[in-house]
Amino acid sequence: MYKIMMFSGGVYKFNELREIVEDIGGFILQSMVMQTETMMHLAFPVEEEPRIRAKAKELGGKLKDLPLGGAEIMVVVPSLGKHHAVDPMCDIAEFLRRNGAITDMMGLARGVGRRIAQMTVEERAIINECDAAVFVFGNFKECIEEKVKLCEMIDVPYIIVGGPPASDVDLPHYVGGVGRRTSRMKRKEDIEKLNEMAMALADVLEEKRIELEEDPLATSPLFIKEMIEMLLTPKATEEFPIVIHMDGLRVKVEAEDEEKIRDIEIGKRKLSEICEIKKSLYEGYLLEILPEAVAGEIF
Amino acid sequence: MEIKVEGGGEFANASYTSVCNDVFRDVGLRSNIERVYMYCNAAEHVFIISIKIGRVPSPVKVWDVTLREGDKLRITKEEYAPKLLALLWDRYGERVQQESRLIIRFELEEEEVAKLNELVVYDPKEDLTVRMLDGIDRILPEGARVRYPIPFAEGQEGMTIIASENPISDEWKVKAKELIGGVALSGGGA
Repeated sequence: MYKIMMFSGGVYKFNELREIVEDIGGFILQSMVMQTETMMHLAFPVEEEPRIRAKAKELGGKLKDLPLGGAEIMVVVPSLGKHHAVDPMCDIAEFLRRNGAITDMMGLARGVGRRIAQMTVEERAIINECDAAVFVFGNFKECIEEKVKLCEMIDVPYIIVGGPPASDVDLPHYVGGVGRRTSRMKRKEDIEKLNEMAMALADVLEEKRIELEEDPLATSPLFIKEMIEMLLTPKATEEFPIVIHMDGLRVKVEAEDEEKIRDIEIGKRKLSEICEIKKSLYEGYLLEILPEAVAGEIF
Repeated sequence: MEIKVEGGGEFANASYTSVCNDVFRDVGLRSNIERVYMYCNAAEHVFIISIKIGRVPSPVKVWDVTLREGDKLRITKEEYAPKLLALLWDRYGERVQQESRLIIRFELEEEEVAKLNELVVYDPKEDLTVRMLDGIDRILPEGARVRYPIPFAEGQEGMTIIASENPISDEWKVKAKELIGGVALSGGGA
């Protein structure tokens, strides 16, 4: 079980922290050096947290918990028109990123209205590729209750964000008080609302995490990420060529590299033996790691 | 600008009031609108919006946006510069030249300069309807694409639109007129 945290601080001796993380069997998910500032997303075994905290304190940096770290979240709005974008759609996505998630945004082709709202098969398949989804709806209780049919079609955990207060809307995983916006959500009460939403999402992800712990994966996605990066070094201009999911990875590579990935050795097995590899409808390739019970031991 | 939103529940009414405020500010009509009335019925998916136009600013003339300095004009309101230059070039051709960002040099007779000062650079009334419709489109829910306009009585400027995702029944057309009439009686608005 890994804990994901963000370190931010100066560049002085920050490599020592990187070395400690690697020594204790952790991983650096993201690292950014901006002149004299550094930012790193770290994943390390939970029991090693005191050691990481001690080192961060020694370096004079800060550690922040990332409850949504290691998850790819799809923010779904009824359309990409000015009724939904940029506010509150981008505010929500930005806040999720601040909590460690990798976010994608989707405007449905026929998602507007109440009776006429629809979701295509392809849209549903793309949402199902992510770890969880956030549906952003409008101001009316009647519309939200009707549009739940769209959310119920998907297989991944989701939350619904809407306007009317949660006490008025009898739906699971619903966060109210957002609704239609025409300005940025930057006031104190807005930030509190976004926090409430991030916590609701963390709760539904926790349920999925517990399910995965009961039937553990053949290996951690973080370990596979490191093995792929050893083989395929990211190009200079590439960003996030590998996105971590809770039960797999999205690898953004060209078709010619697919065979190389299939043949990567993980322990005594090949990657294609412990993962289902398929082309993503959205971007790159999806690697779904099989449970240990199916794939067998890899070491 | 007075805004009244009814029928959508406490949260929706407050939210649409702020949406109306922000949208009409964005399209530059906030000071021209006297009253906005919106009625929301999400259960039947019918939305009515009625706008009454108040004072519209008078046309902007050349002397409003420039300052004469001999045979030159200094542009004092740069937002009108593209419209002003297009107008002058169209009318006087190469006798008017843009010397720098804010300076226009002209070779005109004195009577021509007097006429030039009176030319209309921009009339806010010319695109008022377009801007108003743009604002209404941004406010009404996106799914409500079936629209039915109700014209205002003669002598009054403004418009009322019924919007829904379903065909709009005669019952709603009558009800819309009643609602707007009621507002006009009680508040003296649209």
